[in-house]
Amino acid sequence: MARARQQPPVPFDPYQVFQALDRHHVQYVVIGAFARVIHGTRETTHAIDITPSMRADNQRRLAQALADLDARPTGDDPADADAPRAYATRAGALAIVPIPAGTRGYDDLRRQATRENIGQSCRPQVATPGDLARMLGALDDPASQERLLRLRRLIELDRSRGLAIEF
Amino acid sequence: MRAGLTQADLSERTGRDRSVIARWEQGVASPPVESLLACVHACGYDIPLVLQPIDTRLDDELRQGAAMAPIERVRELQDKLARERRS
Repeated sequence: MARARQQPPVPFDPYQVFQALDRHHVQYVVIGAFARVIHGTRETTHAIDITPSMRADNQRRLAQALADLDARPTGDDPADADAPRAYATRAGALAIVPIPAGTRGYDDLRRQATRENIGQSCRPQVATPGDLARMLGALDDPASQERLLRLRRLIELDRSRGLAIEF
Repeated sequence: MRAGLTQADLSERTGRDRSVIARWEQGVASPPVESLLACVHACGYDIPLVLQPIDTRLDDELRQGAAMAPIERVRELQDKLARERRS
């Protein structure tokens, strides 16, 4: 999952990333800071984090999209297929997080994820605020807790506009 | 999830209907406090309930963010990053 990052050497262009993923019909859910920004937390991030479907055909399409983006791994290649992988692309940083903390991965997140129109014909599936809170809640570091407080407050403000209580 | 329980397990341990638990999990509805505590206890955890003042310092900023469409939120981020690059 994306941490606060220094300003990268290439300008961050989320549209290029989503367009490449869509061009190759990659199935994924946007998570992390960029997803929270889409929901209105007004954070700053220079990266996109996604949770892709781990099915073999989708992994092939993802590899093609990464090649399209001139993606280079920025860390060691982990042996575990479910381990997160970070890439530098010509459009900025992209992290692949197969099993985000506190979740069961793509199939868990896509059930509630919503398609959001972010412009330039991009309508990625985005994890819900509740799922994003679940991820942050599973992380113990102070920065994640601070982000969680911000997200929870946003959820509370949104819910104060009306939610049923069921016993 | 952390306790490794299914909705059916939780239903059995708390006496709440599984369909109601599913609605809580999906965020369709919120559990009342006593049901929430029953679920947390059934998972082997506790929530210390301590009164704390609500931190409302971010409310104006977040309300403005909530009032924007996703497309505007992303545009705002890009504008912010462009300003950072220039400075």
